[in-house]
Amino acid sequence: MSLFLNLASQGLINGAVYALIAIGLAMVFGLLRILHIAHAGLFALGGYLGLVVTNATGSFALGLAVSMAVVAACGVLMYRLCYEPILEQPPYVPLIASVGMFLAIEELLRLVFGDHGLSYHVPPLAGAIDLGGMRIKYAEIAVVVMACVLLGGLALFATRTRIGMAWRATVSEPRMAASCGVSLRQVRHLNFAIGSAFAAAAGVMVGVLNNLVEPSMGAVPSYKALAIIVLGGLGNMGGTLVAALLLGLVEAFGATYLSNYLDRDSIAFAAMLCVLLVRPEGLFSGTKGSTGLLARKLQLKGAAKWVLTKRPS
Amino acid sequence: MGAYETSILTLVAINVILALSLNLISGLCGQVSLGHAAFFGVGAYATALLAKAGANLWLTLPAALLLAGVCGLVVGFCSLRVRDDFLAIATMAAGFLFLGVVRTSDALGGELGISQIPESGLEGFYPYFVVLCAVAAGVFCTWVKKSWLGYAFEAVSADETAARSLGIDTPRFKLAAFALGTGLAGVAGCLYAYYLGTVGVEAFGFPVSVMILAMVVIGGMGSIWGSVLAAALLTLAPEWFRFINDYKLLVFGLLLFVMMRFVPGGLFPLVLRQARRLRGEAAR
Amino acid sequence: MRSNSFFKRLALGLACAAGLAGFAGGAFAQGATTRIGFQAGLTGPAAADGNAGLAAARLAVEQINGAGGVNGKKLELVVYDDQGKPEQAVPIANRMVGDGVRAVVSAGFSGPSRAAAPVFQRAKIPYIAAIAFAPEITRTGNYMFRVTSVGEVQGRAAAKLMGDVLHKKRAVLLTIKTDFGKTLAAGFKEAAPKFGVQLLKEYEYAPSDRQFGPLIASIKADNPDVIYATGFYFTAGPLVAQLRSAGVTADVVGAESLSSQQYIDIAGQAAEGTVITNVIDWGSQLPEIADFLKAYEKATNSKAEAAATSTHAAVVALAAAIRKAKSDDPDKIRAALETLDVTTAIGRISFNKLHEVKKNFPLSIVRNGKWERFGVIDDPALLAPPEQ
Repeated sequence: MSLFLNLASQGLINGAVYALIAIGLAMVFGLLRILHIAHAGLFALGGYLGLVVTNATGSFALGLAVSMAVVAACGVLMYRLCYEPILEQPPYVPLIASVGMFLAIEELLRLVFGDHGLSYHVPPLAGAIDLGGMRIKYAEIAVVVMACVLLGGLALFATRTRIGMAWRATVSEPRMAASCGVSLRQVRHLNFAIGSAFAAAAGVMVGVLNNLVEPSMGAVPSYKALAIIVLGGLGNMGGTLVAALLLGLVEAFGATYLSNYLDRDSIAFAAMLCVLLVRPEGLFSGTKGSTGLLARKLQLKGAAKWVLTKRPS
Repeated sequence: MGAYETSILTLVAINVILALSLNLISGLCGQVSLGHAAFFGVGAYATALLAKAGANLWLTLPAALLLAGVCGLVVGFCSLRVRDDFLAIATMAAGFLFLGVVRTSDALGGELGISQIPESGLEGFYPYFVVLCAVAAGVFCTWVKKSWLGYAFEAVSADETAARSLGIDTPRFKLAAFALGTGLAGVAGCLYAYYLGTVGVEAFGFPVSVMILAMVVIGGMGSIWGSVLAAALLTLAPEWFRFINDYKLLVFGLLLFVMMRFVPGGLFPLVLRQARRLRGEAAR
Repeated sequence: MRSNSFFKRLALGLACAAGLAGFAGGAFAQGATTRIGFQAGLTGPAAADGNAGLAAARLAVEQINGAGGVNGKKLELVVYDDQGKPEQAVPIANRMVGDGVRAVVSAGFSGPSRAAAPVFQRAKIPYIAAIAFAPEITRTGNYMFRVTSVGEVQGRAAAKLMGDVLHKKRAVLLTIKTDFGKTLAAGFKEAAPKFGVQLLKEYEYAPSDRQFGPLIASIKADNPDVIYATGFYFTAGPLVAQLRSAGVTADVVGAESLSSQQYIDIAGQAAEGTVITNVIDWGSQLPEIADFLKAYEKATNSKAEAAATSTHAAVVALAAAIRKAKSDDPDKIRAALETLDVTTAIGRISFNKLHEVKKNFPLSIVRNGKWERFGVIDDPALLAPPEQ
């Protein structure tokens, strides 16, 4: 039983990290239908910035804040310089451009900070607590809390503020929103800023959990996050969140019991392919007008229903 | 030609075949595939195993082609169920699954790969044989493009619904594109196995799939000469960039981005446009 | 307008021609230097080890040339980057042959090294692998040599370390899923019973894993008294940190792949007490070893680790062979290497019939945030490398 609980908690912690990364990707896809692979580059950049600033100033809070702010700006810059000019092109064009940027970011990190990676001089959030027979590190609790706070904040923002409503409107019906006076550009900037900030937070937390940031730390999240957003319904926020947690759990148990048959990374994709073969639209999508499987089962209402089931047109 | 030049030439020819094969699937038929390296790998591993079991080149080459083509059919069937956006990711997943299976299977070499693959038997002629195969692949793709098969592919690529309403059996043609493209990739895999003498998982991963797609996109989706040109350029680029060795990958990444930003249609259509413009001026 | 574009095209054509001509390889006279080829992954996944190896090789060449060179000629290092990819290794191997190298040292990974090996065997140029473990390399032919012990031998040494030196009985094996990890595991499993070490369970993990929660949960349930963590600093570092914070107190034993300072930086306090079978004998009084360690730290601002040390030893051994052969003819160098017995930065080495290295294993332990000497395993029978 203890092993089971341990695996479950590990799965949730990893799932929280995946969720932070995947949400940003889902946001970009939902708005622009672009597979934003360079997102993983921002994740790595965030991890490095957080570590460097913390090591230099001694304050982890400052490191985290600076990292999120700078990476958010980088995300917006990326949109302006790279994606905006090629929005009208077929989808493989932004895909390859994104891959090029991801490679460039990885190499820049390697050239500036060295091949070997960096560690915290004084690991933040050190220590652990005994909970129900398991030892859970403070850093792990912090990850889960941070994910809840950030994602909850996003949900509140999306449903309770005017800007949030403008964002939702742009995701659903861009032309209608524009004719209602919403500035599409501002919404997109906001979208990239928030998504990139979340990726930076994830990068910093992964750096703390491993006490290591490496130039290639974005490689695995880059394609795993893609699998997650597909599972979640491609652009659906709530679905992505649930898919991320599910994947964390599946990997935790799968790595233990399936390791003789399948690589750990392949588990994500095997799961994704199984889901796609059974239900091509993903787990949580609902077509216009009809409600999805889960939405019906859970009898969701109002904003919650929108958050969990809406798939962009 | 020295040994260095012929080994580079062989590598270029193999990459040209790979680019042409993906061009059939993604360029002509519009099915963006992010897992193409897996079929390259199927051909390579099949050749490795068969060659070590005693089969010679004339047996392993068709075997690689057939096996990779069959795998392509399977993936193609799965792709029929999913939409556009998902196809890229589904093919990526197929690529990872292939690697995952190979990594955990000791019979396929696992992490260590398969090495000491016997020679092709062609000795010094082998590089030229590979070039011949590349030329044959180019001729084949040109023939497909100009035939009714190519016409159907392009119709599916342009607008699937319209194609179907014209009576074109889109699923069948998509499958055909997959089978042909992956079969050709299998041939490239076979040639690769003999060239290197070893096969290992690192040569068939997601970055390689992306690289092949980049070759097709940079050359110009659907353009035969474009794929050839881009494949040659991208293979030779690391050699030319030796003097900035440390910054090679950075420059490469920036190059991809710059190409997509400024020449998204691909290099070859650009060259054609310039040529036409020059000819237009000359006529005046 | 027309003439403008004509010149543009001419310029483009000339540029292409110039680029192609750059291929025509260099054939030039053997001059006042002895050219030594150097292959490593300087970019890409192998970059960390490749660059460390390059720094060590350059240091070795500097030291040797500073002392007057070999046979009156200075050594010249001809460096090529294989990017960690096997298919890149073949063209650069051909290039090196065309450049007139007398011998080659490789600080590259197994994949590229075993792809390049046949090229050098055919060209009859001695090839010394400093860090590549693939068994096929030495089996490729009689011009191939290796200065690092193959995985099986290291695994056996680890078994003796656990049984005879640390007196542990219950072991759990954590195998990294690479050729290195698997060969270590094979050697360990073969030798463990001989030293009274019982293997409770073997777990495997991928090189990209950094979070080992599920694994550690299972290990806790197994309750071993020693853990053999094959892997590299970027996997074993986080692993050991997570092990300790989960409350697992078993001793940790590793291989030379943990030998860098980085391992200690990552794992912090958790690294204390880790023992590894190493190639570096910290605190040795031998000038070959002590001088290298000091000079490497001075030149690169970081402490030496296994890849750099083995590469340095390879270059030094090669220079010794050239000196012994009194010529830089590749065939004579090969003959000299076969019967060589020299002390290098990794200690005293010689080669067996298969040109695998024969040497002992210094042991290192982490104490107070640094690697220190712990002992030595010197058992020629146990540590005999494979003969075929």
